[in-house]
Amino acid sequence: MEVRDVHHAYRRRVVLRGVDLRLRAGVLCGIVGENGAGKSTLLKILSGELRPSHGTVRHGGRFGYCPQHVVLNDALTVRQHLRFLQKAYRLTDLRYAEQVMDVLGFAGYADERAGILSGGTRQKLNVTLALMHDPQVLLLDEPYQGFDWDTYQRFWDLAVRLRDAGRSVLVVSHLAYDTERLDELWRLDGGLLHPDRVEGA
Amino acid sequence: MRFHWTRFALATGFALIEHGRNRFAMVLVTLFVPLWTTLAFVAMPDTPAHMRLRATGETLAPHGNELTELSGALNAVTLITGFMMFAATFSGNSFDRRLAMAGYPRAHLVLAKVTALALISAAVAAYATAVTCLAWTPRQPLLLAAALFGAGLTYGALGVGFGSVLHREVEGMFAIVMTSIIDLALQNPVTSSGADNPLTRYLPSYGAMQASTAAGFSTSPVPRHLAIQFTWFAGAALIALVGFRRSTRSTLPVTAQPPDPKPRNGDFSLPAPRRTAEPSASLSDTETP
Repeated sequence: MEVRDVHHAYRRRVVLRGVDLRLRAGVLCGIVGENGAGKSTLLKILSGELRPSHGTVRHGGRFGYCPQHVVLNDALTVRQHLRFLQKAYRLTDLRYAEQVMDVLGFAGYADERAGILSGGTRQKLNVTLALMHDPQVLLLDEPYQGFDWDTYQRFWDLAVRLRDAGRSVLVVSHLAYDTERLDELWRLDGGLLHPDRVEGA
Repeated sequence: MRFHWTRFALATGFALIEHGRNRFAMVLVTLFVPLWTTLAFVAMPDTPAHMRLRATGETLAPHGNELTELSGALNAVTLITGFMMFAATFSGNSFDRRLAMAGYPRAHLVLAKVTALALISAAVAAYATAVTCLAWTPRQPLLLAAALFGAGLTYGALGVGFGSVLHREVEGMFAIVMTSIIDLALQNPVTSSGADNPLTRYLPSYGAMQASTAAGFSTSPVPRHLAIQFTWFAGAALIALVGFRRSTRSTLPVTAQPPDPKPRNGDFSLPAPRRTAEPSASLSDTETP
């Protein structure tokens, strides 16, 4: 994924002032920033949800996007969500999705409606829908919200495994926790990305 | 062909499941239609209301309670379909966007929604016609059902439009209720002395009101007014379609996401963990720039 000179403003409030980023294959990258720094705006632009005022974004292959707010259809079951996205991604089966569900520990909820799932389980499904087609570029916006400690650990384990398999993973968060797990860390501040120190590197 | 059919069928099935799980709407359909139409029939006086039906040019003198019952049936059908489509659009907008961005063909999603709307409108219109026939005997029941169907479709499409542009549920409910009240109250000769005003022909359910009144009290066919109603539906559906396209579009360059030409087979699997010790331990052999 290549991001060049991305600017964005909401009317007169300038949020991004020229963001450049090149996400290489096999890299686990993090972007941190304080509340209101423009992280979600940047991810919306990277995912194609929002058109930047200026600049370009290019993806080189399949990509998956996990939005910060859980985006599900509360009337449908977990399995129905998977079948819907299976058709969207043109997958012949759901074996990979089931593996992701196993790793995140919610395979037992396949026939439950999304509307009655707990917040953490909804987030697991939210992440699974972004991952189930084995994207080459994966964008995750605050992906571990509502996860318990065990799931949180397994999530990072999964992210590292995907990185090791050559996928590019970008995690955006307001907290610089677990930066030692990252290959690259950027801080979004003043509308620009600044390289940050990777703890324990 | 199979590609298109499976996607259309899946989206239609899920759209119907979603509507079916809207319990409040199901209660409204079951209770509100007979309650409103029966109350209108029982509570209104049956004195004749003299009126000229524009659709046929005839001067009619239907019983006031029968005329109000027809208006009540139209009101019930339009509110229910408008509410159901608004609720589904409002709550499903973000997920539709997610599906479209992931590669689900938008045409299939739209066709599925229109099919679900048509099935719901047909069912509610048939039910309201049956309830009407229990109270009194309209001259042309099939025409009445067609008029109610057309009005239901139109308000369903308006509900989709409202669901795409409004930001709060209460705003959408208010918009649908107010549209229906203004629309029907102005056309009812029992409640409005301005029902003959030429402006009323531009109201969203004008065609359906004319057709249903003809269905109730005349034996003349009124294809032109049915056509007017379906034209209103087409216009409202077009606006809803534009709203849907806007809310599900991707801003990325088209070449940025090359779709896989062939379905991906399922032989890919999660890479095994590099080590089974604590996840953070894997960092010791991670290269950092």
